[in-house]
Amino acid sequence: MNRKGGHLLGMAALMLMATACFSDEPPGAVPVAPSGVGGQGSGVGYPFVYENWEVFTTENTKGRLPNDHIFALKADGPRVWIGTEDGLACYEDGKFKSWNKKDGLPWQVITGIDVSPLTGDVWLALFGGGLCRFSGGRFEHFHQLNSGLVNDVVYGVAVQDHTIWAATTAGVSSYDTVTGEWTIYTEKNAPMEEIWCYNVRYNDGKVFVAVWGGGILEWDVKLKRWRAHVDPDGEMEIDLYRDDGLIHIITTAASYESGILWASTYFGVSRYDGRHWRGYMDHDSGLVSTFVNSINSRDQEGWACTDKGLSAMVDFPTDTWVTYKKNEKGNDGTAIVSRGKQVIKTVPTKGAIPNNFMIYVEFHGDDVWAGTSKGLARGIGRGRWVGVRAEELAKPAEAPQQGGSEAK
Amino acid sequence: MKRYVPAAIIVLSGVGALLGLSLGAPQRPKPSFYVGSRVCMPCHGGKRGCDQYSLWRLSKHAKAYAALSLPESFEVAEISGVDVPPRESPICLGCHATASTAEPWQLDPTFHREDGVQCEVCHGPASNHVEAMRAGKPTSTSMLPIPRQQDCVVCHRLKDSHRKALDSGQFDYKTGLQEISHTGSQLVMRPSAPTRPTETRPYLVGVSVCAQCHSEVETGAQFAMWMRSAHANAYATLGTSQAWDAAAKVGIQGNPQANLLCLRCHAAGFGEQVWSSGDSFEIEDGVQCESCHGPGSEYSKEAIMRDKQTAVAAALEIPDEKTCLRCHNGQCPLPSQQFDFGAATNLITHPRKSLKPPSVSVEYKTPFNLVLSRDGRRAYVACEGSNSLVIVDLESHKVVGEVEVGRQPHGVCLNPAETIAYVTNRSSDTVSVVDLATNKVTGTIAVGDEPHGIMTDVSGDTLYVGNGATQDVSVIDAQSAKEVKRLSAARGAWGVERSPDGKFVYVTNNLSHFVPFRTTSMSEVTVIDTQTRNVVNRIRVPETNLVQGVAFSPDGEFALVTMLRTKNVVPMTRVIQGWVITNGLAIIWKNGRVDEVLLDEPNSYFADPTDVVITPDGKYAYVTGGGIDAVAVVDLPKLLGILRNASEEERVNLIPNHLGIPTEFVVRRIPTGSNPRGLVVSPDGKFVYVAAALDDDVTIIDTNKQEVVGSIDLGGAKEITQTRFGERLFHDADITFQRQFSCHSCHPDGNVDGLTYDIEPDGLGVNPVDNRTLRGIHDTPPFKWSGKNPSLSRQCGARLAVFFTRVDPFTPEELAALDRYVTTIPRPPNRYQRPEGLTPAQSRGKAFFERTITNGGRPIPPEGRCVTCHPAPYYTSLQKFDVGTKSWLDTDGAFDVPHLNNIYEAAPYLHDGRAETLEEIWTRYNPKDQHGVVNDMTKDQLNDLIEYLRSL
Repeated sequence: MNRKGGHLLGMAALMLMATACFSDEPPGAVPVAPSGVGGQGSGVGYPFVYENWEVFTTENTKGRLPNDHIFALKADGPRVWIGTEDGLACYEDGKFKSWNKKDGLPWQVITGIDVSPLTGDVWLALFGGGLCRFSGGRFEHFHQLNSGLVNDVVYGVAVQDHTIWAATTAGVSSYDTVTGEWTIYTEKNAPMEEIWCYNVRYNDGKVFVAVWGGGILEWDVKLKRWRAHVDPDGEMEIDLYRDDGLIHIITTAASYESGILWASTYFGVSRYDGRHWRGYMDHDSGLVSTFVNSINSRDQEGWACTDKGLSAMVDFPTDTWVTYKKNEKGNDGTAIVSRGKQVIKTVPTKGAIPNNFMIYVEFHGDDVWAGTSKGLARGIGRGRWVGVRAEELAKPAEAPQQGGSEAK
Repeated sequence: MKRYVPAAIIVLSGVGALLGLSLGAPQRPKPSFYVGSRVCMPCHGGKRGCDQYSLWRLSKHAKAYAALSLPESFEVAEISGVDVPPRESPICLGCHATASTAEPWQLDPTFHREDGVQCEVCHGPASNHVEAMRAGKPTSTSMLPIPRQQDCVVCHRLKDSHRKALDSGQFDYKTGLQEISHTGSQLVMRPSAPTRPTETRPYLVGVSVCAQCHSEVETGAQFAMWMRSAHANAYATLGTSQAWDAAAKVGIQGNPQANLLCLRCHAAGFGEQVWSSGDSFEIEDGVQCESCHGPGSEYSKEAIMRDKQTAVAAALEIPDEKTCLRCHNGQCPLPSQQFDFGAATNLITHPRKSLKPPSVSVEYKTPFNLVLSRDGRRAYVACEGSNSLVIVDLESHKVVGEVEVGRQPHGVCLNPAETIAYVTNRSSDTVSVVDLATNKVTGTIAVGDEPHGIMTDVSGDTLYVGNGATQDVSVIDAQSAKEVKRLSAARGAWGVERSPDGKFVYVTNNLSHFVPFRTTSMSEVTVIDTQTRNVVNRIRVPETNLVQGVAFSPDGEFALVTMLRTKNVVPMTRVIQGWVITNGLAIIWKNGRVDEVLLDEPNSYFADPTDVVITPDGKYAYVTGGGIDAVAVVDLPKLLGILRNASEEERVNLIPNHLGIPTEFVVRRIPTGSNPRGLVVSPDGKFVYVAAALDDDVTIIDTNKQEVVGSIDLGGAKEITQTRFGERLFHDADITFQRQFSCHSCHPDGNVDGLTYDIEPDGLGVNPVDNRTLRGIHDTPPFKWSGKNPSLSRQCGARLAVFFTRVDPFTPEELAALDRYVTTIPRPPNRYQRPEGLTPAQSRGKAFFERTITNGGRPIPPEGRCVTCHPAPYYTSLQKFDVGTKSWLDTDGAFDVPHLNNIYEAAPYLHDGRAETLEEIWTRYNPKDQHGVVNDMTKDQLNDLIEYLRSL
C-alpha cells in the first residue's frame, strides 16, 4: 500500500471533512421506520433512547464555544472539556468558559483531551502543536523541539497514572511526569506496521493505540509489553473471514471498558471481549455507516461516531442498536432503534446532534455529549437504563435537566 | 484477495534490495571490551628492553586506585565537595581507575579496577586487539590508538584540589611521557610461570580477596599501603632490564619471571613450598599478603578472620623476623639496602589506626528551619550541617535531644497530634519520620529531588513537600508513609504553608519561569486545594525571583512571600537606587491579586529575605534578612494602609520599586546571629525564634521589646574553619555596595538563579551570560563563559569588586576562605544514576555520546564528537570552543566548555541561557552540527542521548 498516500487520505478524511459544510442529511441515510413499530425480537425489550438534546454552537453560545468543529471531549467531574479547531472550552454548571492563544493556549487546534485522575491536570493533544498541560490555569507546552515528544502532530492523548501517552503522526510518545523520561514507540520497538497513530486511550492497566494501517496496539502497563491486534485475513477491501479479528487495520480509535475493547475503523467497528471478536458493518448491523471517525464505550455499550450519525451498540446479547441522526429539515432528530439490521422502532428526538458527521462522543454521568463538524450537543440521560427493558420505550422526558438547558 | 501494491513500489523495493545487497549497511566496528592490564602482559612484558608491563606496574599509574584510600585523597575530596569516599566517587575514579564510565558488560572478567590506571585508559578497550593478535591477524582497526597530549591532560593538569592537598606541581608532558615511555618492537610471548600443584588445600587466594576487607581508611587502608610498597612491585621488578642483567650475572638465563629461584622471593607461593592457587590469585601481584601469612583459602573468610585464634587455627601464619629473613637475606643479586627488621615492620605494620584526616570531624549544626509545639515549650530545628533534628526546650533554652536524619535536612513540620516530626532531607531526597516519644527515626519516605518545605493538611493525613530540583510537590499519605502523587510546581519549589482555614496549601518557587530574552522574571506561587489535593491556581508574582518564605495573615485575607526583584535585564552598572537587586515582600491577596513592596532602604538594603512569619494578632510580620544578619519588623496595618490608599498606578509601578516607602512600615531591623533563615513565632505571639544558620544558634526576639533577648546554642563546633569563614562571606551582603546582595543571592543552595545577566567588563549591552552553578566546580577551570578566569580566586577577586559588588575587594584571607567554601559546595546525588547501572535508554545514549560514525556510516571528526569536548570525569575539556552559538550580541564565538555533572539541574543552557531544555540545545541551536554531529539522529536517539546526559 502506498503509505504516504494513505496518510494523506486519513488526514483528509478527518480534517477536510470536519471542516467542510456537510448537508444536514447526506444521501444513503437509513430509512426511518414509523414510530412505535416494533420489529424482530421486539418482545425482548427496548433500550433507553436519548430523546432530548441540547445543541451548542458558536452562534448560540455567543462565541463562548470558540469553534463548531468539535474534535475532542472529556468529562471531568462536574465539567466537560471541549477541544475545538480554535481553542479549548469547558462546560460547567451550564456555562462555557474558553481559552485560545491570547489566553496562553500554545496552539489552537485541539484533537485530544485527557484529565489526570491523580493530579487533575488537563492534557491536550495539539494538532501540529505538540502537547500541553493545563494546570492551575497555566498552559505548559511540550513540543518536539523543547522536549522528547516525537512529533508535533498529536492526534490523541491519554493519562496513565503519572505517564502521559501521545498518539502522533510519527509514533507514540510516553512521558513519565515524575522522572521526566520520554520514550518513543515506533516500528523500531513496537509491532507497529505504520507509525501514524490516530488515537490513544488508557484504562484498567492497558493502553490502546489506534494506528492508521496498523490496527490496534495494546500496551500492558504491568508487563511493559506490546500486543498487536490486526486483521488476520489481511484483506484491505473486504472482511474475508467475519469475526476472525479486527475488522480492518485502518483504525481510528479504541476504547476499553469493562473488559471489552471497541475499535473503530474506516471500514466498520470491532468488538473484542478478550476471547472473541465481533465485527459490525452497515449492511449487517445497526451501525449507520462503516466510516467511523472514533468510538467510545460506556459499560458494555459501544458508541460509534460515523459520517452519517451516531450509532450506539447498547445491548450486545440482543444486538440492539440506537442510531441518532439529525433530521433533514429543522433542528430535531430521529433515534433509530434496531435489532441487528432490523429497525424495530424510530423515535423522534427533541433537538438532535447538530450534524450527522460525528467526530467524538463522551459520557458525563447519564448524559452523552456529541462533538460534530457543526457543533456540540448534549443528550440528556435522565432516567437512563442499561441494556434493554421488557416494557415499552419510556416516554419522552418532559424537560431538559436542570442547569444545562442553555448556554449562559 | 490481493493487496493493491503500486508497481512503482515494487520496482523501488527491488532497487532498494539490490542497493542493500550491493552496498550493504554501514560497517560498524565491533564493540571492544576492557580486558585489564594483566591480559596485556603476555605480549607486553617480560622481554628485556621491552618490559612494558613491568614499567607500568612500577609506575604511579598502577597505584592510582590504591591511592584513593589514603588520607590525602579524603582531603582532596573534602575540599572538592565530593561527599562520598573517593573510591566511590565517579569524579575521583575518572582519573584514578580504568573504565570508570564503562558499563558492567563492557568489562571482561579479567579486568580489575584495583589495578588503577591501566593500559586501556590511554589505548582504549583492547578485547578486539587481543583477539586479533592472538589469532595472528592484526588489522588496522585492531591496532590500538596512541594517546595524544590532550588525552593525558584531561587528568594530568594542575588541579587546584591536588595542589592544595598534595602540593602537587605542574604536569610536564614531556617528562611524564619519558617516565612511562614504553615503545618497543621486539615483542615476544612471556614464558609460562613454573607449574604449581593442583587441587591441594590450602591454596592461594590472592591479594584481591584480602582487599575486600582491608581497604578501608578507618582500618589503615592496608591494601593501599601494600600496593604502594616494594612488595607489590616485586614480580614486575623481575621484568626489568636491571633484573635480567642481575640474574644473568648469577647464572640465571632467560626470563627471571619464569625462574623458580627468583620467584621464590618475588611472587607469592613459590617459597620453601610451592602452593597451588585459586582463580582469584594473580602472580603479577608479586609479594602478597599470603607470602607472609600463608595460603589463605581456609582463613580468608571474614567470619574466620574476625577471630584471630580461629584464623590461626585455619592456617593463618603470624610472621616474624624469620619469615622476612627467608628473602631479606642479602642473597638477591638485585641492589638492595641492608634489611632492618624493626624499620621494615614499622613501614608495613598493620593493622593501623584510622588514617582519616582530622578536619572531617569539625561539625557545625547549620540550622535552617524550625517548628514549635503548640504549647510553645519545644522547638524542633532542622540542622543541615549535622544532618539532624535538634530538639530544644524553650523554657530552659537547652538542647534536650538530637535525632540523626537524612543528609542536609531543610524543612520540618509536626503532625497535628505532635507525636511525629517530618523532616525533609535535601541531599537524600527523602522525608524522615521522627517519633517524638522515642526521638527515633521510624521511617523514611522517598520524595522528589531536593525537598525543601513541608506541611501537613489540617487532619495530618496528607503531607505536602516542595521538591526544588524536580520542580514539583510530593503528596504523601501520612498513614502509609508513601508518596501518592506528584503535582507539578513551577521552578524550584521551596516554601510550603497552609492557609488558616486549611483549604489551601501555598508553595513558593525559588526560580522564575523561563521568560523571553531581555524580559523580566515571572515567579509563581502554586496553590493546592487540600480537599482535591490538586493544583487549582498558579499565582504569578511578576518581576521577582527567589520567592522562598511564605506566611498567611491570621484571617487568611492575604499571604506574604519573600522575594527578590533582580534587575538582570539592564547592565549591572546601575547599582545606585537598587538597579541590581532589590529585596522585599509580595502580598498575595485572597482574590489572587499581587502587590509588591521592598524592605530596602537607599543606603541599607535588606539582602536575601528568606522567611516570614506573622504574629497571631496580625499586627506584625517578621522577615529574616539572610544577607544582613537581621530580622525586619513590618507593621502590617501600616503596610496595608499604604497599599489601600495608593492608586492602581502606584501599586503596580511605583511602590514595588520605591526605596523610601519601606521606612513607613518597617519599624525596626533587629540584628540576629549570622545568616538568619527560617523563623517561627510563639503561639502566644510573645517571641520570635530565628534559626541563625551560620552561628549554630536560635536567636530569640521579644516581640514586645522588639529586640533580641537571648539565643540558644545548638551545640555546633566553636572553631571557625576557613571553610566556615568562607561560607559566612558567601552569605553576607557586606561584600556589596549598600549591602544589596550576597553571593547567595544569585547562587541559592550553591546553584543557579536561572537568570541571564549583562555584566559590564564585556561591554554594555553585549555578551549576555547565563548564570552558572557553583556545585562541584573545583578543578573545572577556567571560569566565566569567556574562560578568562583561570581560578576561582581570580573569579572572586578584584574584578568581582569592580564589576559586581562595587566595594573593596576581599582581603587575601577572605578570598582564600571564600574560594575554599565555594569549592566544597557539594553536588547533590544524581537522581538519574541508578545503583544497578545505566537504564537501557541511558546505555544507548552513552553509545551516541561516544560514537565516532553517523547513522549513515560517515566518520565523525573528533571535534564533532560529544566525548571530545566533554570527557569524563567532569565532562569538560577545560577549553574554549565555538559551537556556533555566537549571537549578534556576542563579541566572540568561543566559550568555555561547561562541565556536565548534574547538568539536569542547571537550566537554562548555553552561554546566554537561550536553551530552556537540553533538547533545545540540539533541536534549535545546532543547525550546522557545530555543537556535536547530531542532525543525523532520530528523535528517539536524541532522547536516549539526553537520558544519558542527565545521568552524568
